[in-house]
Amino acid sequence: MLPFEHTWLPFIYLYSLGGILFSIGIWIIFRAKSIDLKRSHHRRWLFILFFGFVWYFSIHGLVNLAALDVIRPFYILVGLFIEFIIFIVVVKLMKSHGTGEV
Amino acid sequence: MQTFHSIGTSADWIVMVVYFLAIMIFGSYFGRYTRSTTDFFFGGRRFSWWLITISIVATGVGSHSFVKYSAKGFEHGISSTMTYMNDWFFVPFFIFGWLPIVVYSKIRSIPEYFEKRFSPSARFLATILLLLYMIGYIGIGFLTLGKALIPMLPESFMMFGATFPITLMGAIIVIAIITGIYITYGGQTAVIFTDLLQGAILIFAGLLLFALGLAFVGGFDAFWNILPMTWKLPLADFNQPPNFNFVGIFWQDAIAGSIGFLFMNQGLLMRFMACKSVNEGRKAAAVNILFVLPVSAIVVGNAGWIGKAISIINPDLVPVNTSPDQIFVVVANIVSQPGVFGFVMAALTAALMSTVDTLINATAAIFINDVYRPIHRLMNKAKTLSGSADKRELLVARYASMGITALGVLAVLAFKNFPTVYEAHGYFHSTLTPPLVVAIFLGIFWKKFTPAAVITTFLGGVGLMLLGARYPGIFIAPFDHGITMNPSHPYSYIRALYNILVCSGVGVIVGLTTGWQKRAVSRLSQNGETLMKALVGVSILLFFVPLFNMGSSTFQFIDLLLLVVVLPLVVTHYVSYDEEKNTKGLITSSIEEARIGFKSGLPNDREGIKVEVSWKLSEGDEDYVRFSKDDMIKMAANSEDLVYLCDKRKWLGGLKSIHSRIGKSHDEPGIVYLTKEQSRNGLFVKNRILEAEKEM
Repeated sequence: MLPFEHTWLPFIYLYSLGGILFSIGIWIIFRAKSIDLKRSHHRRWLFILFFGFVWYFSIHGLVNLAALDVIRPFYILVGLFIEFIIFIVVVKLMKSHGTGEV
Repeated sequence: MQTFHSIGTSADWIVMVVYFLAIMIFGSYFGRYTRSTTDFFFGGRRFSWWLITISIVATGVGSHSFVKYSAKGFEHGISSTMTYMNDWFFVPFFIFGWLPIVVYSKIRSIPEYFEKRFSPSARFLATILLLLYMIGYIGIGFLTLGKALIPMLPESFMMFGATFPITLMGAIIVIAIITGIYITYGGQTAVIFTDLLQGAILIFAGLLLFALGLAFVGGFDAFWNILPMTWKLPLADFNQPPNFNFVGIFWQDAIAGSIGFLFMNQGLLMRFMACKSVNEGRKAAAVNILFVLPVSAIVVGNAGWIGKAISIINPDLVPVNTSPDQIFVVVANIVSQPGVFGFVMAALTAALMSTVDTLINATAAIFINDVYRPIHRLMNKAKTLSGSADKRELLVARYASMGITALGVLAVLAFKNFPTVYEAHGYFHSTLTPPLVVAIFLGIFWKKFTPAAVITTFLGGVGLMLLGARYPGIFIAPFDHGITMNPSHPYSYIRALYNILVCSGVGVIVGLTTGWQKRAVSRLSQNGETLMKALVGVSILLFFVPLFNMGSSTFQFIDLLLLVVVLPLVVTHYVSYDEEKNTKGLITSSIEEARIGFKSGLPNDREGIKVEVSWKLSEGDEDYVRFSKDDMIKMAANSEDLVYLCDKRKWLGGLKSIHSRIGKSHDEPGIVYLTKEQSRNGLFVKNRILEAEKEM
């Protein structure tokens, strides 16, 4: 049995402290009005930003579970593939509402 | 520790030489597109996101190299990937904060931002710190290249009857000469296109090696079951051992490293600035960090994991005590055939060269922009940048590239005694990035961050960092999260936390006490200039105390606290600063003003579509392009809007393109009128269709 300091503590530290920094970043760009949800491509960017956080959270979480023999390594690929498909579909759907942004 | 020499066959060397020649010819071909310093350094701000994304692979992967991640993969397993997968937390700050500011404010280097945002003195200090950072980075790149090639070379060679040993420094000098020649004559466009090719090859070579390695150990299931459980965890143990622990690397890499890489790595920033627009830069950054970095993490670390698996099933083939920095070469040689090994090694070394090339090019940009031009202006020799001045600067840029290459080789001496490249890089990041990282970060997000605050962050922060480096047991230990201090390399990673805290602490305290400083200065200056001049002398003396290690740790600490009080008064008195003027368009809350400044008018954000047009030459030499009324409606564009025109062929990635302003409309749908100069700058080919899109 591996110690908690090696299994889940780094994961919790990474995503709680990282999550705070990420949230501050989102708060700052909203407060500074550098992201404008009236623009369709900015709405898409906001989705991509949150997706990115969940994406990395999933990668680390799934590999940790596989390393601890809770799931088979194959399910890492399955989980990430499903997430990737969701990402592509949502980004495509959001793109159809606005064109021509540079 | 077991080391290796003369690995590989003559077939491998032939493949390597052919590969390098092909890459150099490829780069030289695109070097002909370099017409000015703008092209040399920024590639003319015209490329598509996908081209920049792939070209960043070679830069990013090269710098976080095969050698050091394979070494950590061999020692600690899959957690070698963690430094590649912790960059997302700062992406909102980057793509909606720093990137638009950099592009819209039209700055060419990070120190230039410091002058616009703060003062010339802040620019001067930022230039020194940034040059140290960049040259140190080049040194790390050369060290990695040397360590990658040494196992392939014999221990010595014979010439004129005498035996000459092949040393690490000797190999690095030869590599530096080849690198210097290439970058000197290529420029940024050549680097981008060479990196594009190498990025793709690199990913392929790394994945090929993983596939060959898995086949060698009996397939993925066998590989997974051989590895001990601790080797399979994606994150290292929280605070053990001192040379590889999660919390230290989190602060060194996820915080200092990520901000450093995204915000102050001039080389990477220049790639994003070479994108045709801010949105393309965002796409390049997002795709790179989201999808390319996780793949790259496997590409660069897998040789170490395979090496570990082989060392368990066949310790005679890969001894457990193999030098970690040599494991990549050892494993590549074992799992691949002659020729394939040469190809993998060529891809590795070429990628490392790409990183070094990018850094040398970026450092030359800083030299021209922040050293050469200000000195030249001071000497009053070039009031305006004429055509001949630009040619002269291009020549100076090429000489600067050579000089920087030489300094990069010398910088290797500072890092070559670390046990592994990984630790050298970690120590380097923890030590050199915090003052600039804190200054950039507070500068772009906090309006109250004044010249007094930034200069005190640089000098007071560096003083406190020196104190921490000299007395780690006293100053860094309270933040060590339980990491044991290694006396020979104390707190290589977690020192980043201490360094960031002291630099940001100094910056925030000085920023918050701006009102007090103004009142104090106004009272002190009532008694004439003498007192203020005396305070300048006192500040210099106070900074010299930690610089030359005078007195005990307590004395130096009190001295630095005094410096943090006195220095802001001096700066407030001598540096003229207008908060409104100096922050306009240069902080996140004024990006809209930056856009207005970029366009020289109100941006037009109506969403239109791209149009395809044929081009004709027009009379005159004004910098306008003219579209038909119909095409203007489709693009939702007005005259005076900014427009981007490029060759319709997507695979060119924007190589043949221009930015311009829309002039008066005409009545010929599907036609755009360009001047001769515009068609020449855009490298447009007669009868080729162009695609136009309104920028703003």
